[in-house]
Amino acid sequence: MTAAFRLRPSALLGALAFLMAAVMAGLLVGPVALPPGKVLAEVASRLPFLSFDSGLDARQAAIVWEIRLPRVLLGALVGAGLAVSGAAYQGVFRNPLADPYLLGVAAGAGLGATMVIVSGGATAAIPVAAFLGGLVAAAAAYALGSLGGGPRSGATLILAGVAVAAFFTAAQTFLQQKHAETVRQVFAWILGRLSTSGWSEVAILTPYVAVGVTVILMHRRLLDVLSVGEEEAGTLGVDPTRVRMAVVAAATLTTAAAVAMSGLIGFVGIIVPHTVRLLVGVSYRAILPLSVVAGAAFLVLADLTARTVLSPAEIPIGVVTAFLGAPFFALVLRTSKRGVW
Amino acid sequence: MSRIEVRGLTVAYNGRPVLEEVDLTVGPGEMVAVIGPNGAGKTTLLRAIAGTVRARAGEVLVEGRPIPDLARRDAARLLAMVPQDPVIPRGMTAFEYVLLGRTPHIGYWGAETAGDHLRAGEALERLGASSFADRLMERLSGGERQRIVLARALAQDAGALLLDEPTTGLDIGHQQTVLGLVDGLRRERGIAVLGAFHDLTLAGQYSDRMVLLVEGRVEAEGPPHRVLQPATLARFSGARVVVLEGPGGEPLVVPVRDQTADEMSRPSP
Amino acid sequence: MSRKAIVAAALAATLMAASCSEGAAEAPTPSGTASFPRDVAGVTVPQRPERVVSASATHTEIIYALGAGDRVVATDLFSNYPAEAGTTPKIDAFNINVEAVASFDPDLVILAFDPGDVAPGLASLGIPTIVFFVPATLEDAYGEMTTVGEALGLEDEAARLVAQIRQDIEEIVSGVPPGEGDPPTYYHELGTDLYTVTSGTFIGTVYALLGLRNIADEADAGGFGYPQLSPEFILAADPDFIFLADTVCCGESALTVSGRPGWRELSAVREGRVIELDDDIASRWGPRIVEFLETVGSAVYPTVP
Repeated sequence: MTAAFRLRPSALLGALAFLMAAVMAGLLVGPVALPPGKVLAEVASRLPFLSFDSGLDARQAAIVWEIRLPRVLLGALVGAGLAVSGAAYQGVFRNPLADPYLLGVAAGAGLGATMVIVSGGATAAIPVAAFLGGLVAAAAAYALGSLGGGPRSGATLILAGVAVAAFFTAAQTFLQQKHAETVRQVFAWILGRLSTSGWSEVAILTPYVAVGVTVILMHRRLLDVLSVGEEEAGTLGVDPTRVRMAVVAAATLTTAAAVAMSGLIGFVGIIVPHTVRLLVGVSYRAILPLSVVAGAAFLVLADLTARTVLSPAEIPIGVVTAFLGAPFFALVLRTSKRGVW
Repeated sequence: MSRIEVRGLTVAYNGRPVLEEVDLTVGPGEMVAVIGPNGAGKTTLLRAIAGTVRARAGEVLVEGRPIPDLARRDAARLLAMVPQDPVIPRGMTAFEYVLLGRTPHIGYWGAETAGDHLRAGEALERLGASSFADRLMERLSGGERQRIVLARALAQDAGALLLDEPTTGLDIGHQQTVLGLVDGLRRERGIAVLGAFHDLTLAGQYSDRMVLLVEGRVEAEGPPHRVLQPATLARFSGARVVVLEGPGGEPLVVPVRDQTADEMSRPSP
Repeated sequence: MSRKAIVAAALAATLMAASCSEGAAEAPTPSGTASFPRDVAGVTVPQRPERVVSASATHTEIIYALGAGDRVVATDLFSNYPAEAGTTPKIDAFNINVEAVASFDPDLVILAFDPGDVAPGLASLGIPTIVFFVPATLEDAYGEMTTVGEALGLEDEAARLVAQIRQDIEEIVSGVPPGEGDPPTYYHELGTDLYTVTSGTFIGTVYALLGLRNIADEADAGGFGYPQLSPEFILAADPDFIFLADTVCCGESALTVSGRPGWRELSAVREGRVIELDDDIASRWGPRIVEFLETVGSAVYPTVP
């Protein structure tokens, strides 16, 4: 008996190869032209037990090790986190347009960041405020969606998320309006960026993404069970509410952390899972792990595009993903009609 | 011992009573049919027993254990449900769908074992569905699909089975096939089966006892020939029927047309 | 271009523009310091203003420098210099409410930014409003100071102020030693997100007076004037001097800059050539432009008195 509901090793290997290629490209390409061999040598020379001169001077070496590599790693972490969170939301809510910002995380994070920026707070406080804001918004959406004692369905939660997001966005707009001189700063943060990142950001983000991705991946079989709907899943012995809470919590945590580090980068949570779905089918046992890898590769490449197209100026990465995202939505709608979803 | 016991079950939606003080029992290997007009609460009854709907009062015991107090996984090992309108996931083969029935036996973080694959295969075999195990669910016919849903319930290895209108949308041949399979299963394995039916004759042919549910209350109960009385049926569903005796002595409910009554109910010119 | 050539070109441009604008300034203004009504920059000022509202921090500084601070009735939130300006009633320059401005009963309003309907709105209430723009060169800045003087009936004071500033600047610039080889390069940071100015902006032309070359010029393909740089670009360009104009808004300092990933490899960071500027002084074009030049000049040419 076959089981298409599993992850084919060839698919995973293909995705990993894609990721490797993306990381290579991210390291070798930049506004400053550096010889590829020396770039790779520089990275290699930093590995433990290896030490040799790569031939780059101190500033060039700093470009590779302090700027490009952490940036690529951050892009990979953020991309993986957002993609798998998007896929998880789609699985939990059985809705193809669910994305990691569904419960208002984006709006909450935006409000948190705006509050720090307009009050002239330290730049270091922005990610913290964004993270907390994202969590508060998601918690508010969850609480709102659970009010009334009625059936706590996915649809109710989505609507609650929309309401919370609208409220937080309105609050943010109001603040921005009152402090119009900070608009540029706020906007820059909202459009997303990876460019002033270094190893400390990578270190901070890694545990969140690691934990979140792990929890989500552990639920992949259960998300497949949820494909028969919440009621039938219940009679099959799965508590859909418990699964939903665990997955939503993990995805929200990961998303809030990613947003706190890199601003609002949209569409990753939709483009990547749907593309993966088109390629490998509807089982979350395949979609989730592949979204992690493909999401990382996608964002590394998007960031590469963002920093090379108008080099040395940078397009905010949220703009790049949006450019790719809008036509992508059309594609998703067309394939949905064909019943792929 | 697989046994379903329901005592004083009361369910209300928004203060409106849907089930009132329902008592019924299904013994091991027994098939009990719940009949009644539309909206009588048959589906609600099954859902309340399965635990997907909260009861305001009453007890539901399966194998002597109270279903509402159990964890979902434990309850699912005692009781399986075949819904009226099962959700058909896309991109899933029949085998994978039946494999879902093994969920209550797999830990939260676990995965299916070879043993689970074996049980799923056996369930398909028993229901004569092995030949289309690799076909996608959305490509199956109504009759084939119903057998697969039943196979999933069978794979759960539960001692009690709830069926919600299992013959809806099937032609006569398939209706008989499905009910025949259920009948065979319950006798072989001692499964207690409670089914909701709208087809009175079929229900009478395959069940040991019947329960007539009208507006949430049990109005009649007993062996088919006792419940399927024309007077009873007329009083509760306004149907005009005669009950004939089939070749094996089983009651056959036949609708009768009363042309005089029809003429009288036509508006006068 | 060599440093000497840059200075020479800048000075020449300054002198040429000066001679042109002096001629232009003479024609429309009637002689005498107290003759109103008059036409100032296309706006009719009916009488000597006694109740001035300034929604531009730069022009607030100019007004006080001209000695007319006692005539100011309201300023915008950014008008914080001199200290007395900070204590006047405030309006929001970015969300200007015509009625709020009118409530001060002004007879002259100065704006540095008009979303489109404020000046006409005030004009319909009979309030003379002058809208200024960021100047392109020092000469344009002097022109704005002169205009403010005219509007207030203080042309003589304005002329004296401009002359003083010109002299102070020439003193500083003349102290620039002729250099051999390439001119020193600089990077002027507007914010933590690495936005900067090119040499085509006002502040860029001022830097050029000191013979400094801007690393951002080649990064501004569109000629927009305020490109955003990437850390890689800055590392590769390795500017001789880094000027931080985001010390107040964004808390940046030589210390925070050296903590940025990779930045400690920059020679400016290594050799202590990261200069912290006051955001306000580095972004306005009033009399304190002299202080700006002094700060930059003494940082770049420390041996010159």
